[in-house]
Amino acid sequence: MNTLTTVVVAFNTLANALGQLLTPIAWLPDWLSLTLIAGLTGLGMLLAFKYTSNQRAIAQIRRDIRANLLTIRLFRENLRVALTAQARLIVAALRLLGHALIPMAVLTVPMIFLLAQLALWYQLAPLPVGAETVITITLAGPTETPLPVVILLDNDAIEDVSGPVRITSQRQVCWCIRAKQPGYHTLQFDLEGQRYEKQIAIGEGVMRVSPQRPSRHWSEVLLYPWETPFPRESLVQAITIEHPQRSSWIAGTDSWIVYWFLISLVAAFCLRGFLRVHI
Amino acid sequence: MNSLVRWWLLTGLGLVLTAESAWAYIGPGAGFAVGGSFLVMFAAVFSAVAMALSWPIRWLWRLAFRKRPPQRPRFQRVVILGLDGLDYGLTVRWLQEGKLPHLAKLQQQGCFRPLGSTLPPISPVAWSTFQTGTNPGKHNIFDFLVPDERTYQPKLSSVEVRPPRRAIRLGPLRVPLGPPEVRLLRKSQPFWAVLSHYGIFNCVLRVPISFPAEKLHGVQLSAMCVPDIRGSQGTFSLFTTRPHHGETTTGGEVQIVKRHGNVVRGELVGPDHPLRSDRGPLKVPFTVFLHDNNRAELHIDGATYELRVGHYTSWVPVCFRTFPRVRVHGVCRFLLLATQPDFELYATPVHIDPEKPALPIGYPAVYPVYLASKQGSYATLGLAEDTWGLNEQVLTDDHFRQQCLDTDREREEMFFDALEKVSHGLCVCVFDGSDRLQHMFWRYHDAQHPARPADVPPDHAAAIEDLYRRMDALVGRTMARCDGSDTLLMVLSDHGFTTFRRGVDLNRWLEENGYLVVDDARRNEDYLAGVDWSRTRAFALGLTGIFINLQNRFAQGIVAEGGEADQLRAELAEKLATLTDPSNGQRVFRRIYQAQKAYRGGYVRQAPDLILGYESGYRVSWDAAVGRTTTAVFHNNTKAWSGDHCVDPSVVPGILFCNQPIREENPRLLDIAPTILNVFGVPAPDYMDGRVLEVGTPAVVSPTS
Repeated sequence: MNTLTTVVVAFNTLANALGQLLTPIAWLPDWLSLTLIAGLTGLGMLLAFKYTSNQRAIAQIRRDIRANLLTIRLFRENLRVALTAQARLIVAALRLLGHALIPMAVLTVPMIFLLAQLALWYQLAPLPVGAETVITITLAGPTETPLPVVILLDNDAIEDVSGPVRITSQRQVCWCIRAKQPGYHTLQFDLEGQRYEKQIAIGEGVMRVSPQRPSRHWSEVLLYPWETPFPRESLVQAITIEHPQRSSWIAGTDSWIVYWFLISLVAAFCLRGFLRVHI
Repeated sequence: MNSLVRWWLLTGLGLVLTAESAWAYIGPGAGFAVGGSFLVMFAAVFSAVAMALSWPIRWLWRLAFRKRPPQRPRFQRVVILGLDGLDYGLTVRWLQEGKLPHLAKLQQQGCFRPLGSTLPPISPVAWSTFQTGTNPGKHNIFDFLVPDERTYQPKLSSVEVRPPRRAIRLGPLRVPLGPPEVRLLRKSQPFWAVLSHYGIFNCVLRVPISFPAEKLHGVQLSAMCVPDIRGSQGTFSLFTTRPHHGETTTGGEVQIVKRHGNVVRGELVGPDHPLRSDRGPLKVPFTVFLHDNNRAELHIDGATYELRVGHYTSWVPVCFRTFPRVRVHGVCRFLLLATQPDFELYATPVHIDPEKPALPIGYPAVYPVYLASKQGSYATLGLAEDTWGLNEQVLTDDHFRQQCLDTDREREEMFFDALEKVSHGLCVCVFDGSDRLQHMFWRYHDAQHPARPADVPPDHAAAIEDLYRRMDALVGRTMARCDGSDTLLMVLSDHGFTTFRRGVDLNRWLEENGYLVVDDARRNEDYLAGVDWSRTRAFALGLTGIFINLQNRFAQGIVAEGGEADQLRAELAEKLATLTDPSNGQRVFRRIYQAQKAYRGGYVRQAPDLILGYESGYRVSWDAAVGRTTTAVFHNNTKAWSGDHCVDPSVVPGILFCNQPIREENPRLLDIAPTILNVFGVPAPDYMDGRVLEVGTPAVVSPTS
């Protein structure tokens, strides 16, 4: 697992560097930027599919599928022929699935990293000025040991409303804060003389929002790629800031990924003839 | 590479299977690739369930509402295998020599008879009679060509393709409103239309004179007279760097190309521009990169094909584009003939692409698409084998034979697919490569043929016999596929074959005898262009007919219908009957027929006035066939097209094999349609001229027959 986490961290470093290219998202309407990205992704997926799949075999299977569909239509009076064609259709579909495995494997990894980057922009909204939220710091160690003292250091961007609240059973310390200044800010925590940091995004519109600085576990690192994960031996395991979900007719919670999925598919289907790709 | 792929695969799958929240992110990567196959699977399962549920309802519906034959069908299935041009005499000979074992077996099971052909015994006429059960006076097909009554120009007898009637002009553009109008000129109705009326399923493959495909209960693929993409009956292309090849070529086009180092560029010519007539034909550019003396690479329409000297490419799809979304799709095959000293590349006529047919070449419209999906692209042109390519010596015998073999292979695949799919009903398929091959290879069979080379290549010496053996093997495979089923199998040909040594320029004979006047300076122009119609009383056009220039028929007619015309017909018939070949004193004609006496039906007036029954060895000359008038009546036939059947029907009977006994000794092609109807328990319509043959053992012969 440790190796996998290291690999994911390494990929994240690369993805974050490339993710800088997504900065124009902040200047464009969310529907427009998401449409453009989805279109380009569709194109990329199509090309990747073209060069990682057995195009000749897929074209042949597609022809088989069409032939069997037409068999059902043309010879429907003959039940034996029609049912045989349906069985062949299922076999063809399975063969198509088999031919999709390698492109699928090749596409899945970059897609996961791309989507993790996109999620930073489209999944959550930044904290509006004046809004209150909860910051939670999760500490390492057994639950029976007492929690150490954790201090949220003063910061002009936020106002400490209440806290810290200590939940010993979960080894968590929470604060309720109010956002004051728009922009990207870094919050600092003091724990036994050590400083720990976490970014916060305050403002309106589309901003890159990292809701959690994760622990060093590969799945956490994969989902929250922007901030460096805490080392395995760190006293702090994670710092989380609750952000409101984004809501818009396209890029609302959970629907942005559906929209992205549909647009990328439509783009791929539209371009497949032009690029001569059998999918 | 494999380990890299495996690593990606394992990592991807690991992520997919073990991640908790990350599963949502798999979506596009996996979904994009997998969605399609799940959709297919869903469609298959859904349609299977729908079919299983609806089957009893449809069965009951058919039982209740379908018009049923008045008598029980005697066989579940009738299979007719048409072998165009298989000759009775040769078949008998090779049967006796034991060279046709499967046909011998079929004869043993049922019967073998000569099959009387039509007057004239040529494919469009014969197959029209086969399918309608009527004489040409009722189905209106008398020849390949008929004269236009206004212009005297020859036109196809069986089909008329007209541009869309309505179009709007937008500046220089003429935008057609609707598809071109394609009209089948064959009248009456084929017997499968009658069977369809009774709900009997029909699969009709490549029966000549079935374009455009007509509606029927079943499926149909058209054949003879399906044009190529240019609208012609087959125009091949030769791309060459050899300048002297720029001469005119019948049935093809020579394009002089230039070679730049190892690169040759050319343009494949397609149909006329559909929107701008001033633009000429549409073209698809191509580039050939020569690798060495034997190999090259063809780049056309975004794809690359390997070329090897003497080897055909597979079917190459080509798309002729005008405006976005205005496209005409075709397929053709390329053959690299030589790279040194001159580059020579042959392209077959561009056939209509069966996957995206521009014209109705099948019924339903998706049937050609189905076949293309099933077996890949295939020849759709009516006369698929390029006889002109060989006649003009662009192709060699081997190249031509390869075309015949490939076309037969394609045909066999679709025929056997039909046999697999049609367990009840009618299945007809015509193989016409046998006709083309006999036309072109007869000079090796006939020791006295003028076109026979001094040294006959050993491969071709027995080409005709090989063809019969190949057809025999095809019959064997067909019998194997019919075994164990309640199938009536008939193997038949529309006519036989004979030699074509001497061509007769009928127009020259008419000129010499004072019936036709031609401007001497325009003698060599095609399509009767130099004829003085105001002084011409009779002319020849097509393969077997002479027309009287009747006042009430042709725009410049001068002969009055009635006594004058009757007298002229009789006079011509009498004179022609005595015509002899001065080179050997042999009679040219076995019999001269007057259409009014030979035919009956509503279309007799469209027939040539006289139909010429040539003796074996004679036929209309090549020049006369394209409307030129030479200065001699008789010509040696030195072309590769050396066998023919445009003679008296008694010279070239066809064959009829059946896996059941047939009592009649002299069945005719005319009798097949009513016989098949009778086998299915369907009464033959009154208009049919054929009689019902008694098929099967006496015990199972229907009392009505």
